[in-house]
Amino acid sequence: MFSELLNNLINNTLDKGLDYFSAELWLSGTIVVMLLMRLFSIDRLVPTFIVGLIGAAAAGWCSFGQFADLIAANDPVSVSFFGGMLRQDLFSVFFRIFLSLFLILTIALTVLTGIPDNEDAPDFYTLLFGATIGMMLMASANNLLMLFLGVEMASVPSYVMVGFLKGRKASSEASLKYVVYGAGAAGVMLYGISLVAGILGTGDMTLLADRIRVVAEGGTAGLGDPEVRTVALGVMLVMVGLAFKLSLVPFHFWCPDAFEGASAEVAGFLSVASKAGAFALLVRFCVGLSGVPETANLMTAFGVGLGVIAIITTTYGNLAAYTQNNLKRLLAYSTIAHAGYMLMAVAAMLVMLNSDQAAGLGKAINYSIGGLLYYLAVYMFMNLGAFAVIALVRNYTFNEDIDSFKGLISQSPALCITMLVCVFSLIGIPPFGGFFAKLMIFASVYQAAQIHWAMYVVLAAGAVNTIFSLFYYVRILKAMFLEERPANVKSVPLPAMEGYYVVVLAVMVALLGFLPQLVNGLSSIANEAGNAVLLVIGG
Amino acid sequence: MQPDLSSYLFIGAVLFVCGVICMATKRNAIGVLMGVELVLNGANVNFVAFSKYTALGLDGQVFSLFVIVLAAAEAAVALAIVLNFYNNHLTVDVDRGNKLKG
Repeated sequence: MFSELLNNLINNTLDKGLDYFSAELWLSGTIVVMLLMRLFSIDRLVPTFIVGLIGAAAAGWCSFGQFADLIAANDPVSVSFFGGMLRQDLFSVFFRIFLSLFLILTIALTVLTGIPDNEDAPDFYTLLFGATIGMMLMASANNLLMLFLGVEMASVPSYVMVGFLKGRKASSEASLKYVVYGAGAAGVMLYGISLVAGILGTGDMTLLADRIRVVAEGGTAGLGDPEVRTVALGVMLVMVGLAFKLSLVPFHFWCPDAFEGASAEVAGFLSVASKAGAFALLVRFCVGLSGVPETANLMTAFGVGLGVIAIITTTYGNLAAYTQNNLKRLLAYSTIAHAGYMLMAVAAMLVMLNSDQAAGLGKAINYSIGGLLYYLAVYMFMNLGAFAVIALVRNYTFNEDIDSFKGLISQSPALCITMLVCVFSLIGIPPFGGFFAKLMIFASVYQAAQIHWAMYVVLAAGAVNTIFSLFYYVRILKAMFLEERPANVKSVPLPAMEGYYVVVLAVMVALLGFLPQLVNGLSSIANEAGNAVLLVIGG
Repeated sequence: MQPDLSSYLFIGAVLFVCGVICMATKRNAIGVLMGVELVLNGANVNFVAFSKYTALGLDGQVFSLFVIVLAAAEAAVALAIVLNFYNNHLTVDVDRGNKLKG
């Protein structure tokens, strides 16, 4: 009996689990190789970034293989592996490809800008890969334990990366603030997990809604029941941890400080990758709590609550960005605002998923998650592009203030055009990628508004905020294109390679808007992935 | 009196609240990190208690084992960052980090 069980477990792990986990294994292997290279001084002969690029490309290739298999099967599947700890579906594969691609782009950027230097490269890339593995785990987490471990695995290397510029006061201060707030938020989240898992008697996220039904004993789960109330409290505490990762108001205060203190490359990585992982986790957590009629009322209220937080977050981010002079700080507030836009999609999903017409809304619910994924895909290119321009300009002017961008058009048009495309896309001006991403999210919020009036308010706030954001983004463009270059600012002679890199990012942002095949292809894949994550309900 | 689930949860809650107060009021970075440890261990007490009394079973103990390991790793990183801060500022008072205005 026992040996049969053990054999099954081993077979399951070897046959399926290791295959599903191959991208993460490649990244882990790369970390080991990079550390051994330093031990045997091979990093003097072969630059570390080459090993890093190979490892990241292999991880991307493995994920792409899984993606091709899932698409070829033509039948959406969602299986848990490693004893129910992780889940393999198109959603997790989408994020594996996304994160591998982003890892490659980030490594390329660090090579071009020269942060880190050769001496520190193995350490830096080890941290970068460790954080990426954590984000992949967040995207495929199926258990509350993996939720916590994924968040911590992504956070702990990030704390160090923020403080990587040794000997700088701002950098050490930023990383201290980040680690203190981050560790506190993680602790609070763990306490929430202990309440949820303890009262419901399981750590499996896909069973949460079912267990709440059991706890509520047949009636509708309401806050009058002390056990349901405790679970609701636990969910709120878990949300504190996730909101911290997503830099939602009121847990956003670390974000501008950490971004200002960190190098622009690290800030770019954190602003995209850690948001992506946290949103994947938030979607999985919310889906796990939804899907039974008994919890529908509570979860609709939860969705509306997220909508309210989204309104506050976007408005705050956009208003606070206006007074900033440091560009990294400005983009940090822009990151906060964009997290708010993306949260609107999750709020819309929750409201639709828990309405009594959910069965008829299947497509619309898929589209809300699909819109979120499309937004993340465009956001990867446009935000990395903006941070790359800042990093490249910094390398010549040693300054990240908006003044150092004045009159840049006369010296390096490539940087200015890239910034123009990225900024237009961040605002959401057609026909760039950001416009379609925003349109998809607003469309699903409109769908949700048919069910709950509060979503109309969310929609209006989103539209108004798009106009707010115009002002501070245009400030950057005005400085670059219309103002004279001050005499005391160093010139920016842009080498060819760096020019190609930023232009590639700009072209991707533009193509995600211009090229109908790409827009349709990516959005249909995103919708499929949205469908896959919902399979656990009723499956 | 025989201890039951709620008495363990009470201890966990007390640890949690002490930890949160410690995080909120201490100005010394080491003190804040000690507060984090209290919060994590408050959650650990909950996990072990739930594992004894509810359907969570052994999962709860596995949770707490992972948390213990993770807390050690996080403390190591956090202390390294505190040391880095000390090297630059010659203090571990978190209020002295006021160059960035959050």
